[in-house]
Amino acid sequence: MSNVECTHCNLSFPKEVMIIEEPDINFSKESLASPTDIRYFCCKGCQGVYHLLQDDGLDSFYAKKGKEKLSKPLAVDEDASNFDLDSFKDIYIKKNNDGFSSIDLVIEGIHCSACIWLNEKVLNDEAGILEVNINFSNHKAKIIWDEDTIKLSSIIEKIRAIGYNAYPYKAGIKNETNVNKKRDYFSKLSVAIFASMNIMMIDVAKYTGYLTSMSEDAKFMIHVAEMIFATPVLFYSGIIFFKGAYFGLKNKIINMDFLIAFGAVLTYIYSWYVLVSGSGNSYFDSVAMIITFVLVGKYLEVIGKKSANDTIDSIKSAIPYEATRILNNEKQIVSVEEIQIGDIIEVKNGQKACVDGKLISTYASFDQSSISGESIEVSKSKGDTIYSSTINTSDVIVYEATTTYANSTFNSIIELLENSLNTKPKIQDITNELSKNFSLTILLLSILTFAGWYLYNGEFENALIVSISVIVIACPCALALATPIASLIGISWLSKKGLILKDAKLIETFNDIDTIVLDKTGTITNATLEVVNISSNKLNKEELNILYTLTDSSTHLVSNAIKQYLQSNYNDLEFINLENINQIAGVGINATYNNNKIYGGKGSLTNTAYTSFEFKINDNVVVSFDLQDSIKEDASELIEFFDKQNIEVHICSGDNENVVKNVANELNIKNYHANMKPKDKYDFILELKKQNKKVAMVGDGVNDTLALSSADISISMASGSDISINVSDVIILNNSLKSLMNSFYISKRTYKFIKQNLFISLVYNALTIPIAMAGYVVPLFAALSMSLSSLLVVSNSFRIKKDIK
Amino acid sequence: MSGILWIELVVGIIISFTLLGLLLWAVKGGQFDDGKKQMNGLLFDSTEDLQDAINKENKIKELKAKKQKNNLA
Repeated sequence: MSNVECTHCNLSFPKEVMIIEEPDINFSKESLASPTDIRYFCCKGCQGVYHLLQDDGLDSFYAKKGKEKLSKPLAVDEDASNFDLDSFKDIYIKKNNDGFSSIDLVIEGIHCSACIWLNEKVLNDEAGILEVNINFSNHKAKIIWDEDTIKLSSIIEKIRAIGYNAYPYKAGIKNETNVNKKRDYFSKLSVAIFASMNIMMIDVAKYTGYLTSMSEDAKFMIHVAEMIFATPVLFYSGIIFFKGAYFGLKNKIINMDFLIAFGAVLTYIYSWYVLVSGSGNSYFDSVAMIITFVLVGKYLEVIGKKSANDTIDSIKSAIPYEATRILNNEKQIVSVEEIQIGDIIEVKNGQKACVDGKLISTYASFDQSSISGESIEVSKSKGDTIYSSTINTSDVIVYEATTTYANSTFNSIIELLENSLNTKPKIQDITNELSKNFSLTILLLSILTFAGWYLYNGEFENALIVSISVIVIACPCALALATPIASLIGISWLSKKGLILKDAKLIETFNDIDTIVLDKTGTITNATLEVVNISSNKLNKEELNILYTLTDSSTHLVSNAIKQYLQSNYNDLEFINLENINQIAGVGINATYNNNKIYGGKGSLTNTAYTSFEFKINDNVVVSFDLQDSIKEDASELIEFFDKQNIEVHICSGDNENVVKNVANELNIKNYHANMKPKDKYDFILELKKQNKKVAMVGDGVNDTLALSSADISISMASGSDISINVSDVIILNNSLKSLMNSFYISKRTYKFIKQNLFISLVYNALTIPIAMAGYVVPLFAALSMSLSSLLVVSNSFRIKKDIK
Repeated sequence: MSGILWIELVVGIIISFTLLGLLLWAVKGGQFDDGKKQMNGLLFDSTEDLQDAINKENKIKELKAKKQKNNLA
């Protein structure tokens, strides 16, 4: 059975299930969907958005998008008029000096830059909108508009019409500070890199000139040029270190910033002395390089903090900001913060519960994937607990609040996450610690050398040159390069294998991991149901067609799996006319056919290792199916690999015990834990860490986010939720478990080379520093020798890749 | 000979620092807040987008004028 791609979203489905449109004569050159092609749509949503874009002349979106796959357009039933309520305005809308309104939103459903283009284009074409700026990295949008011309609800409806959705978020002061800080560091880094690159070019002329005896005039010119480039690096880019040193001294601490500032200033002053006196060699290049190298690390830290903040904002935006409260038989729309314990809350189909509570309605079904990770709807009856952030998939229900918003399950998760992301223990960076102590030692040795030589022969200039030589020859460049260069090569090799490492420091952490916690659904299983058992294969053609039509009428995961099974095992299936099709959320589908009662849905046996589906005609079971989430093909190889590495494996899942046990037995995993909520997984990881274990967590869903944030290394599948990806340290792009094995193998190998590099640079310094202190090395050769040690470290690092095929 | 080199040096430094200044000005204005979008924007820039930018500027001017008029009234 051949699959075809949807013209709008590019997702592939069997041709039989697609909506097919014959070509029309309205031809657009820019559109990829040529008029001679038949157009296929996977759903009404895609078809609707496609035609809307065609009608509005925005079909160039498809050329811009290329082959990028989108998710299906989000069907949002929620009423956008809530965005015009005064209670909403007070919280989220700000007025600027000109009297225009502005709001910060998170846009859901963005996949590529074409999505950004489309949203910005559609909104910019609207009258009354002054500014739309959507950030590609975090999908945050800032919109400025004139309330007299257009309402916010119309803006939101426009976004929803093209298949996206928008949530408001409160951009706090922290957010603004982070943006400004990132800009500031980016400017400083730009200046530092720009100047350092120029200095490097001038250095080529300088060192070649030394070997070919250049004129004094040319030498002076080179020194002046280097001074011009080094000065902004020290006093503009390097101001961060001066500030750090000042605050350190204020607190009576000699920190790394002090050493960098002191070393750079000393070298700068000496270089000025050389420039003015005309004797010796200047080291303006060293000033720029030292500052630039360290600044790169600081910039990465700033980006990391900002991204943690963006993650929390996007999670917060997923919580409803208001709820319908029923008081004295009257419905009121109130802000979620106003909900008190005991309040009666109404939740419509598709809406999220805002606080925890007890169900008052007789029956309800909820999508609890944000809490448990289970993709199957959960049925609830009167008195059952409703969790905040879960989605009502049944009709309108009412429940009684048992917590306030601040104490609700989902808000507690966010608070823990916020705490965890901001205080996530960074692995002690051996190299940084080493260079810190190393710099202090070198500084002391240099001062001692100066004092010794000055006392010995009384020549100030000679003593100064020798002590500077000590600083230069021992410049921790090789030491500073030892880790980043090997990490860079390791990381680039990892990325070729479909892995993204967010922080180079993680390479060291991989080496220490002794426990791995795996989520089940989507991580070691494919998160799709497959039929594993069928009670009877003797269905007649009519029964098959009834079942086929019945399963086609629902988009439920189980129905889809049965339908797919029928399609791949039976030929000549046909749709028939079923009447009175009625879906009972969380139970199944009822219908009638030639006055016969038809039912397809939950079986009578529950709590088995399988999800069951029964097909009944007039209450007689015709056939029953057992369905199971299939295990990924590399899973057993992965478990064997961890066994060989002596890494303890645990499975943690929100599914029931039987299902988890089944998977664990199949993969020979002794440690499995079922019925785990996000907080349970989080506590479990903390418990492991308390036992002094170094834990890696692999997950993919929103429900894993909290556990991921608490692990020493968090690994996420690229197919997982945006939030879990944002929280993770490592992202597996191809969702393959083989890549997970590679991540361990490559990181361990890279770490071996980092240690080798550190050894080389330390041996180099141990040999050369005494020679420099004895006064046998002039600063020029000290600089050359320093470069040589860096070269040695770099060439050794290239062996990482050479040895791996 | 060295006179020419000095001139070249001075001119080179002035040009490069001017460009650097422009970069910093753009950073301050927020142009580089979203690196990915900036890179992808290169692929999408067309005459139509330029026209859109002009229309947007005109729209902003009109809205501001209208707002000012309303505020005075």
